[in-house]
Amino acid sequence: MAEPSPVSRCARAATAKEAAYRIDYPLAYARSTRVVAFDDEAARTVRAVMDEPWGQAQFYSAPGPGHELLTVAGEARPLAGELADSDSVIMVATNRVNAEAVATVGAAAQVRAIMTAGLLMADEDGLTGETFMAIRPYARILLAPADQDDLVELLRAIRA
Amino acid sequence: MLRPDINDLLTQTGPGTPMGELFRRYWQPVLHTDELPEDGCPPVRVKILSERLIAVRTPEGEYGLMDEFCAHRGVSLWFGRVEEGGIRCPYHGWKYAADGQAIDVPSELNNSEFCKNVKLRSYPLVKVGDLLWSYLGDPAKQPPLPEWEFATVPSEQTFTSKRFQECNWLQALEGGIDSSHVTWLHGGGPNGDGLEADPLFAGARGNQYNKGDLKPYFEIVERDGGLLIGARRNAEEGHYYWRVTPWVLPNFTMVPPRGDHSLHGHFWVPIDDENCWAWSFDYHPVRPLTAAERDAMKGGAGVHSKNVPGTYRPVANKDNDYLIDREKQRTGEWFSGVEGIAIQDSSLQESMGPIVDRTKERLVATDVGIIKARQKLRRAAEALRDYGTEPLGNRPAHQRIRSVAVVLPADQSFVEGSGEAFDARPGVAQTSV
Repeated sequence: MAEPSPVSRCARAATAKEAAYRIDYPLAYARSTRVVAFDDEAARTVRAVMDEPWGQAQFYSAPGPGHELLTVAGEARPLAGELADSDSVIMVATNRVNAEAVATVGAAAQVRAIMTAGLLMADEDGLTGETFMAIRPYARILLAPADQDDLVELLRAIRA
Repeated sequence: MLRPDINDLLTQTGPGTPMGELFRRYWQPVLHTDELPEDGCPPVRVKILSERLIAVRTPEGEYGLMDEFCAHRGVSLWFGRVEEGGIRCPYHGWKYAADGQAIDVPSELNNSEFCKNVKLRSYPLVKVGDLLWSYLGDPAKQPPLPEWEFATVPSEQTFTSKRFQECNWLQALEGGIDSSHVTWLHGGGPNGDGLEADPLFAGARGNQYNKGDLKPYFEIVERDGGLLIGARRNAEEGHYYWRVTPWVLPNFTMVPPRGDHSLHGHFWVPIDDENCWAWSFDYHPVRPLTAAERDAMKGGAGVHSKNVPGTYRPVANKDNDYLIDREKQRTGEWFSGVEGIAIQDSSLQESMGPIVDRTKERLVATDVGIIKARQKLRRAAEALRDYGTEPLGNRPAHQRIRSVAVVLPADQSFVEGSGEAFDARPGVAQTSV
């Protein structure tokens, strides 16, 4: 067992008074986030939050097999290009999830070591096992059931 | 990051604050029964939710929890004399019953009439298991007594300790929810035994899964009263090892079990806004704790701490830099250089400052459990404040819960695959690997 430090640094550093003097500087946006909706209902949720003043977050839907993402303006973009400078992908889906697109986007993110989070929005019948199965292998963290507020709070929390 | 107003809302628990009012809808552990060990014993100071109180046990065995200070001149009743029917202030002899009602004011000629109008604020103090619990809220809204399994199994099956933690309650709670730190902080260094070194965790098959997969996946699922936070690791071919942490509003968490070791968990109870009690419990649902287990718990193993004798302050604390051992940190025997799970947690949580400024944090996706818990706390506090909505988590149905560790086929969700494993069922062993 180590001897106690003769003059404690922790005791001085962890007081309320000291905390007021911590270095204060603006934090940069930490994440280059891609938010992808995998069905129409999820796309409505994504559109509802995209107008907030986000930093580098970009918003898409994935209507086909997922090799192309659709911007909110309706412009098709190759998946690989959109992931090129991204470090996190948030996957939003409901029971109508486009599982093929999830697999495409999820695998592409995994190959690039991009962090993935899945938010599953439940309808009145809850979430089906198929919905979980579609997204579970690809989401490093999965929140279910989630709602629009969860998406907003996640994006805020990670400074997207 | 969190907006400053929300950080304030979540961290301030004094009377009249939204989070303080939320806490006042729950029974909270206040004292261990050992702290008021016999009828007529000396009173004990209690500070909880920023209220200073005094706990008494009268010669007749009645428990009471009341304002610490005498209504006359503000003297602390800790100096008081416990007498038949209550406690008497040593300054001028005012005497109070266990419910705070003045019953004798010797200087008054019409003593009984004067007393009627003098009553200290008081709260119920009730023994459930080995703890004394109190409810500090509106009496009309008082929920049923707590039914947490650790407090309802026979005494020989359970052990509870507490330690003083010098930071806001939410920092401590978030450590209980944050499963992603376990691999690092508690996993041991590259040359250490990690959890295998702790007698309360050693020998479990689950430890090998932990060591074999350092990048778990997480799944957060809502459950009445809180959340289930599942950490998923690779197990045998086609199977996952799940460790599931329940959180019940506002401040109860459990740690997933290991093998046949006891279940354990915490209550994180605000003392004031800059300090909290970490109540730590271990219990086994179907067998007595062994003498060796009990000795290990008393010695600070598992989730417990070795405290300064006669106090609840850990021996390793911020005044001695938590006795950090740089050599063990350097050689990789202990990852953080600090010994023991409890102090590994408290050292880092206290280092964040009394109330961490969450506007400056940089969360990542694996922090979703924390993000979701904050959201649920905020919503519950606001709903109570704005609409009088009673919060979840203060009903026995929400309290009959266990943590779970289980190996499941890869195509099964931990909720479906675990069946009733999350339900505390008398006489049924825990689900553990």
